[in-house]
Amino acid sequence: MTARMLPGNKIDEFAVRLMRSAEVVAPRRVGEEDVFYGAIASPDEIAWDYGTAVEPLKRFLLPQREPILRFSTNGRIRVGAEYDEQQRVFLGVRCCDVTGVAVLDAMYGGDTVDPYYMSRRERSTFIALTCQQPEPHCFCVCGDAGPFLEGGYDQQWTALPEGMLVEIGSAAGEALVRDNEDLFAEAEVDQVAARYRLAREAEQKFGEFKSYIAGAMRKLSMNEVAPAVWEQAADRCMECGGCTYLCPTCSCFTVTDRMAGQDGVRERHWDACLYSCYAREASGHNPRPEREDRLRARFFHKISHQWAVRNGRQACVGCGRCVLGCMGWAHTPAVSEGIRRGVMT
Amino acid sequence: MPEIATVCPYCGCGCGLYLHVRDGRLIGVSPSRSHPVSQGRLCVKGWHAHEVVDNPNRLTHPLVRREGNLVVASWEEAAEVVANGLSKVLESEGPQAIGVLGSARCTNEDNYVLVRFARGTLRTPNIDCSARVQCVPGPAPTSGGPSLGAGAEEIADLDSADLILLVGSDPTEEHPAVAARVYRARQRGARVVAAAARAHPLARLADVHLPVRPGSEVRWLGSLLHLLLAEQGFAADADMPGLSELRASVAGLRPEDTEAATNVPAEALREVARLYLSSKQVVILYSTGLALSTVAGPALQALGSLAALSSRGGGPEVSVLGLLSRNNLQGCRDMGVAPDSLPGYVPLNDDAAVARFEQAWKCEVAREKGLRAWEMLGRVRAMYVVGDDVTRSLPDADAARRALEALDFLVVQDIFMSPAASMADVVLPAAAFAEREGTWTNLERRVQGIRKAVAPPGEAREDWRIVADVSRAMGKPLPYESAKQIFEEIADLASIYAGIAYPPAAVNGGIRWPTPEGRKAGETVAGSGEAEVTALSAEALKGPGARAETNEEYPLLLAADPTLRPWDGEVTVCHTLTSAGEFAVVARDYPDGMLCLNPEDAKRFGVRGGRPARVVSPKGESQMQVRVTEEAPEGIALVPYNQAMHSGLMEISTDPETGRPVLAPTPILVGPVQ
Amino acid sequence: MNNPYLPKLATIQKVKVETYDTTTFTLRLDDSGERKAFEYRPGQFVELSVFGAGEAPFCISSSAHGRDDFDLSVRKVGRVTGVLHEMGEGGQVGIRGPLGNCFPFEEVKGKHILFVGGGIGLFPLRPQIQDVYRERAQFASVTVLYGARTPEDLVYQDELEQWQQQEGMTCLLTVDTAADGWSGNVGVVGSLLPKVSIDVSNAVAFVCGPPIMIRFVVQDLSGMGFGDDAIITTLERHMRCGIGKCNHCMIGDKWVCKDGPVFSYREMRAMAEFEE
Repeated sequence: MTARMLPGNKIDEFAVRLMRSAEVVAPRRVGEEDVFYGAIASPDEIAWDYGTAVEPLKRFLLPQREPILRFSTNGRIRVGAEYDEQQRVFLGVRCCDVTGVAVLDAMYGGDTVDPYYMSRRERSTFIALTCQQPEPHCFCVCGDAGPFLEGGYDQQWTALPEGMLVEIGSAAGEALVRDNEDLFAEAEVDQVAARYRLAREAEQKFGEFKSYIAGAMRKLSMNEVAPAVWEQAADRCMECGGCTYLCPTCSCFTVTDRMAGQDGVRERHWDACLYSCYAREASGHNPRPEREDRLRARFFHKISHQWAVRNGRQACVGCGRCVLGCMGWAHTPAVSEGIRRGVMT
Repeated sequence: MPEIATVCPYCGCGCGLYLHVRDGRLIGVSPSRSHPVSQGRLCVKGWHAHEVVDNPNRLTHPLVRREGNLVVASWEEAAEVVANGLSKVLESEGPQAIGVLGSARCTNEDNYVLVRFARGTLRTPNIDCSARVQCVPGPAPTSGGPSLGAGAEEIADLDSADLILLVGSDPTEEHPAVAARVYRARQRGARVVAAAARAHPLARLADVHLPVRPGSEVRWLGSLLHLLLAEQGFAADADMPGLSELRASVAGLRPEDTEAATNVPAEALREVARLYLSSKQVVILYSTGLALSTVAGPALQALGSLAALSSRGGGPEVSVLGLLSRNNLQGCRDMGVAPDSLPGYVPLNDDAAVARFEQAWKCEVAREKGLRAWEMLGRVRAMYVVGDDVTRSLPDADAARRALEALDFLVVQDIFMSPAASMADVVLPAAAFAEREGTWTNLERRVQGIRKAVAPPGEAREDWRIVADVSRAMGKPLPYESAKQIFEEIADLASIYAGIAYPPAAVNGGIRWPTPEGRKAGETVAGSGEAEVTALSAEALKGPGARAETNEEYPLLLAADPTLRPWDGEVTVCHTLTSAGEFAVVARDYPDGMLCLNPEDAKRFGVRGGRPARVVSPKGESQMQVRVTEEAPEGIALVPYNQAMHSGLMEISTDPETGRPVLAPTPILVGPVQ
Repeated sequence: MNNPYLPKLATIQKVKVETYDTTTFTLRLDDSGERKAFEYRPGQFVELSVFGAGEAPFCISSSAHGRDDFDLSVRKVGRVTGVLHEMGEGGQVGIRGPLGNCFPFEEVKGKHILFVGGGIGLFPLRPQIQDVYRERAQFASVTVLYGARTPEDLVYQDELEQWQQQEGMTCLLTVDTAADGWSGNVGVVGSLLPKVSIDVSNAVAFVCGPPIMIRFVVQDLSGMGFGDDAIITTLERHMRCGIGKCNHCMIGDKWVCKDGPVFSYREMRAMAEFEE
């Protein structure tokens, strides 16, 4: 591990320097107690002490609604596209959320690259903040996505009494240290040891939703799920779309054209595979007419071995936002437990 | 990407949400975890609330009908045309010939200014809101007072309940934020009882599901009261006013004897009685499923009696929570959008209170009792309609449409070209919820501020501003400059809102009225009188009567279910799109409506799921797409209420007290389309 | 950056009405360089943009041989196809593709080739039929079975006549419901299968049509002795992006748009949903 120390009194200065060349997106309090990742105007806005931000980083890489084409039907048709080229540093974001981006990378990269996603992704740097106090909904331990990461970040920070222990995970992370060498100190051995001790302690603090995923994955992948589980899950799902919209890795979209006079824009919007119209074909035929069909498809994509292979890892990172956002009781831990036991509670 | 905290514009729950804006456009929605109602959750409508605002079909300019066509006009022209049109009717027919409809979608400020416009400028007492037909009539059960739902009940009561009774309520469809709390209560061990003909998801998960035959709501409640009083030895307070009459009215309603009429198995009802008596804290939820029943008033009285018996008889603590359908239906009523009161439920015969309004408004106020929304149709000559559509909200939709067509003059303010707007002489484009400030009041009386995130499209503006412009054109300017100013006047005159500072921040869940400062007034209004019980009327116990009996010719009962797809056809939800803008966020799989049939009935009548069926009733004939589902009980076909209104199939019954029209269960014959 | 969402502009060259609700549009890419680069195989599809109305997937329904334009046969069912049907020659549309995989060709040389089409399921089969017939000598036999609901629903009527007369090819037609003047077979397309006498151990069947027809025909073919690898179909799904990003066409662990739309029955059986 390559690690340095960023002393407590240098953190703000580091953030200010980052802000000179990039938009710095960090956790900050909005309204009463809601924490959202958002662009900061000053390091004072950063809420270092937080659990799970209301939303993951997805919105910054894949907005809920974005133009993908502009066209004009005035005379011969002209078509053009534009890309978001803003440099962004994601500072102090959670390990589960950084891991979520790795899944998006697999989905939006690969042999056919999505240029809108990749334009943002290539200009993004991720400084993860390890999690020392998981919330009750958290289960990143069984999503292999926290509370501390072994890789997949540009930098990973751990809050110690004397400042941030900074682990470097990439050339971009290295560059940020090099360019601001004057702010960093060497990491002491006991500081590095503290990081490992804190990681072990954090892992002991998880709540009720632990480690159901592996068992569920096996049954899902082998097609051994009791059909009743899906029917029971269907009675607990209200098709709000919240689990997918809040998920760091759910990234289904739909596309629509909108006209203003002779100028048009083709926009893509988040979509959710649980919506009854999701797979409906133009003819009206719906291959997944029942909610249980759609739940089965969603969880197969989310946590089957087959998709884990295609995406390079399971799509669930265990952030627990589906637990918070589910209108009913059909979130990933509940359904995973249902799959494992053969019955939903 | 700043997040703008506001309130969801759809149902009465009043969830907190954040709007995301980029380049002056709404680009998304996030939930609020710290909001006391939504707690980090949103339903499908809330998640797409930006779609209703940023929608290419919005009205953007005033439209005036010229030679039969609606053409774009300036605000000045439009206000002039409206002023002239209304003045003409005023001169020739008098103020009683004008009807005004306010909106359960619009803000308190809009509705307040509209009331002033109606009763002050136009001097007409005919002001109402058609959604009131969908809201709960009759007494609020726990308070015994007028229909406010103004007890201490709140959604959070569900968090500590050990028994939840859903009476004609399917919150998964109507009030998702409430359903979320029921699911969570169930997970921690609370018992759930669902009384509804349709086996909706929470009914399927319930400890007991009572598949109540539509129209027999009072009868099964009577049986339950009988069980508690006569069989289960419920220790009722013998001194309670009305107890002996109640006892007498339910005597002999043994569950075994009511089973055939109610479809409620006796043993299931006994189980409910046992659960009730073994509980400490009971929450009873009701919504349109009960409120739009043919026996709604007496059924609510029965619930009230149940709650009152408990509170005086050492039974469980009971909260009865009436779930209002629209985001600001509560506020609409609070603001006096009603034919029989002024803002703050000030009675028209309270001289001193009315004088305060006259003083503040610097005009005389129409003090007569006016016509209800459904009474206006066919009786008034001109209507001024704000964010309302009687062709979508009143049971006899076709009659409503004909009545609008027959008007001399119709003005509609809305954000979309609703069916009513398309018939208007003048259409005035309003700002949507994210384009303006103001307050809404949710079903538990949280007054919450909404915030402006983007500019309205074209020349659309706030409803209150439009109304004020029209009033000015009629020579009676209303001196309002901001929502804040209007709200402060409301808080001053409508004492139930006293002590609420503007804006009550949505992010905290706003402020519930009455505040300590407004409590005295609030209690007066809510009627904190003695708990009392009432006898069940023999008429109501009988149910909808012979017209709702099936027979050889019409062997199936058709019931309009207001809790099924409650948002179908609603103008804002029609324009809240998902999946490539092809489908409204609800009703995606059956975009043209549906007839829910039990598999047995589908087999018996030879119709197939997904195919159209021919439906014949004594009233008429129609085609409906069949959905075969176990949700429908055998022998009863269910259609969404909004669809039934337009089907021409249903018998319409009239509430004897209020004249309120309600769709009654109707016998039908179903068969395949030839 | 290469942008797979950017459509190439194309112009409608010809509009041929097939039936009351289907039309064949002949399209030619506007840019000559793009035209040259546009190489496709039978079974592949394109995403067609009708600007302002949206985008929808259509299989290419003509063989690429000797043409610098291509056909899309389209049934009028939704918003995009509705607007498209109102466009005439000279109308401009957008094309993304070709997308997806294709029918096996080299691999099935030497075999008896059986095509079974139902309704508009003949659209994706047509280029393969044309290519196979062009190299007729390379195949043991060629049989086309085609059924539609009524005689009015039969597409490519001129070509069907030609196929029926063409030497070295058997083409049998059927309709579910006959009408006046129909003297041919009546019954579902599967009812033609008993009339086929080929050595199924050296045969491959290409099947395309509505889901219910595919299910029954596949059953019949299996009964005749066709192996799971010898039954090939194209699946239709709600393919929004065409490049495996939007996930609308996902079945089990496959994207129809990217891993398909051509699948063998063996692959389909492995897809969790096929049994539905």
